[in-house]
Amino acid sequence: MKFTISKQAFLDAIQQVQHVVSARTTLAILSNVLLKAKPGVLELTTTDLDVGVSGTVAADVEASGATTLPARRLATIIRELPADEVHVTVDEKNVASIQSGPSTFKLLGLTSEEFPPLPRFDGGSEFTMKQADLRDCLRRTAYSISTDETRYVLNGILFAFKDNLLTMVATDGRRLAMVEHEMEFPQSHEIEFIVPTKAVNELQRILGDEGEVTIKVTGSQAGFDMGNGLLVTKLIEGNYPNYRQVIPGDPKERISIERESFLRSVSRVSLLASEKSNSVKLIFTQGNVEIVAASQDIGEARESLAIPYKGPNMTIAFNPEYLMAPLRNLTTDEISLNLIDEISPGVIRVGNTFLYVLMPMRVTA
Amino acid sequence: MSQPRVIFHLDMDAFYASVEQRDNPQWMGLPVIVGSPPDRRGVVCAASYEARKFGVRSAMPSSTAGRLCPDGVFVRPRMEVYRDESRQIMSIVKRFAGELIQQVSVDEAYLDVTGKVEPTSDNDSLLESALTIAREIKQTIKAERRLTATIGVAPNKLLAKIASSNFKPDGLTLVKESGKAAFMRPLPVGAIHGVGKVTEGTLVRAGFKTVADLQDTDRDLRSIVGSWGPELKRMAFGEDDRELDLGDDIKSISSENTFLKDTADRVVLRKCLREQADEITEKLRKRRLAAVTVQVKVRYSDFTTLTRQLSVEEPIEDSKQVYRLACWLLARHDLVRRPLRLIGVGVSGLHEVTLRQLTLPFQ
Repeated sequence: MKFTISKQAFLDAIQQVQHVVSARTTLAILSNVLLKAKPGVLELTTTDLDVGVSGTVAADVEASGATTLPARRLATIIRELPADEVHVTVDEKNVASIQSGPSTFKLLGLTSEEFPPLPRFDGGSEFTMKQADLRDCLRRTAYSISTDETRYVLNGILFAFKDNLLTMVATDGRRLAMVEHEMEFPQSHEIEFIVPTKAVNELQRILGDEGEVTIKVTGSQAGFDMGNGLLVTKLIEGNYPNYRQVIPGDPKERISIERESFLRSVSRVSLLASEKSNSVKLIFTQGNVEIVAASQDIGEARESLAIPYKGPNMTIAFNPEYLMAPLRNLTTDEISLNLIDEISPGVIRVGNTFLYVLMPMRVTA
Repeated sequence: MSQPRVIFHLDMDAFYASVEQRDNPQWMGLPVIVGSPPDRRGVVCAASYEARKFGVRSAMPSSTAGRLCPDGVFVRPRMEVYRDESRQIMSIVKRFAGELIQQVSVDEAYLDVTGKVEPTSDNDSLLESALTIAREIKQTIKAERRLTATIGVAPNKLLAKIASSNFKPDGLTLVKESGKAAFMRPLPVGAIHGVGKVTEGTLVRAGFKTVADLQDTDRDLRSIVGSWGPELKRMAFGEDDRELDLGDDIKSISSENTFLKDTADRVVLRKCLREQADEITEKLRKRRLAAVTVQVKVRYSDFTTLTRQLSVEEPIEDSKQVYRLACWLLARHDLVRRPLRLIGVGVSGLHEVTLRQLTLPFQ
């Protein structure tokens, strides 16, 4: 195997796949990246057996072949190379010679035959959408994924394809984020599955601004094919809780708020939220909301925001982090904050495409 | 300067071994070793003074003890008996010392008897007058329980503990306020509370072998032991302001059950865990506390005991949550792969609940 490649292109391609490689693995081969050289193309693949990623990059291939090399070490070497071009030759013992300008590295690899192949997706359901749309949907939900390992089914995002809608949901039991994206697919394709956190994080890294992604699903695996890149993942087994039942019905108050000013105010005030209770209070009066945080041993912060509120006086407390997370990850100018009372969930809505349900905090009697 | 105090450190002599010798008079005067038999894996829990002459020490592997003392009488520990004995002794102590008792372990306690002696302006005579109480405690324990105790009498916990541990068994040692610096001088630095093996090594390498070296130095000890330096210096002179920890601010709550017959029956275990979770959360509720850490404990037929714990983001106060996490821990670590002799649940990382994050009403 022998190829010549631009240093920057090689580095970009390795960095695209190397995050999947876990630092501690029992199988030595899983620390390696699989390199396959075909005419004009170099293909790179990594996997931790749960999530696998592969990508291609243009290369001047003199002799086709395959090998595996330690992923992190290879990335560090390529990053430090002195010249713009890299010449790579791999012998039959999987010893790679990496040459660039005046420097030569010899790196010991392992045979490509031991590298576990990524699963194939034949005959499953397929859905195609814009990469940018999927990335946006992930961004607006991913922060609500539960990190509580005792609630395994919540450690990912639910993808539900139904009624020509892709609904994506993430919740940690205290808040729930949901996006809906219109798309067309036959009813026979309707399906629900849970994509684990690691795959969600990798997808957010890999998905681009341009082009399409095809989602392929069979039994316990899903693949996200971006043409020049592919991510495959095991799905989380189990039943996602019925999220519809926690979405409150008609709100009493619908308040339109400018997203960025609201975010900045909460962010400033939360500087004085005590670590122990970690809450901010929203005090609603006619035409105004006052955001307050106080802690006994630090001090207090207050900030007022003029809003079109016409309801009765009301005070509701939230964890400021949970309040800010959706505001940070949305891009619209305005959001609608819907409230019922101080102990019922608050809802942030953007049109019909985004919904966030947040449980308040309550002073204990 | 703070109020003069009179602190006792009471330490039962070779406690487990002495209980065994008392209950089995034929072992009096023999080297009794409480712990695993010498041909089994396991360690020595306690050794009688006769056994200590052979070099047998607690925490030593039983096989080593068997080599050092081949004629030793090896006895299986009877923890329930010792715990019961401990309660009896503490009730005697209470008669003389009142409520200011910090029980450190089954055979060791600090007592604050300042309020039990005639107040005088002179600290030394205050301490001396407390000797009567110490003698009475020792005599009563000997008369009623037929066991001996050693008591250290001093103006603080640091000195009281050193006084009792250096003059055993059946000892009674007084460290006077006026003599405390001199009392500390000849001791190795490791005698100071808080100086463990690592710190001791660091100090010795820096040239501090005895407490006298610490007393006499002009060096800033912070360069050796960090921010603890000034306190170490004060302790070297026998100063110690630590109050008795009377356990009124609790750090953990737990509940455990020993089964009459070892069991791996899921139904029995679940029922037991549910009751334990209820008991714990009831106590949490009374104190208005919530916990961030849940622990499970299992003991197998061979007395191997394992604990596993887990911390969560949102403090827990709900019995169902405690139960759910306990079950999760048992499953996650595959703890019920053999019949259990004991199962227990505990919570720690206790916080006062002032604000509660409500949860989404999933069913």
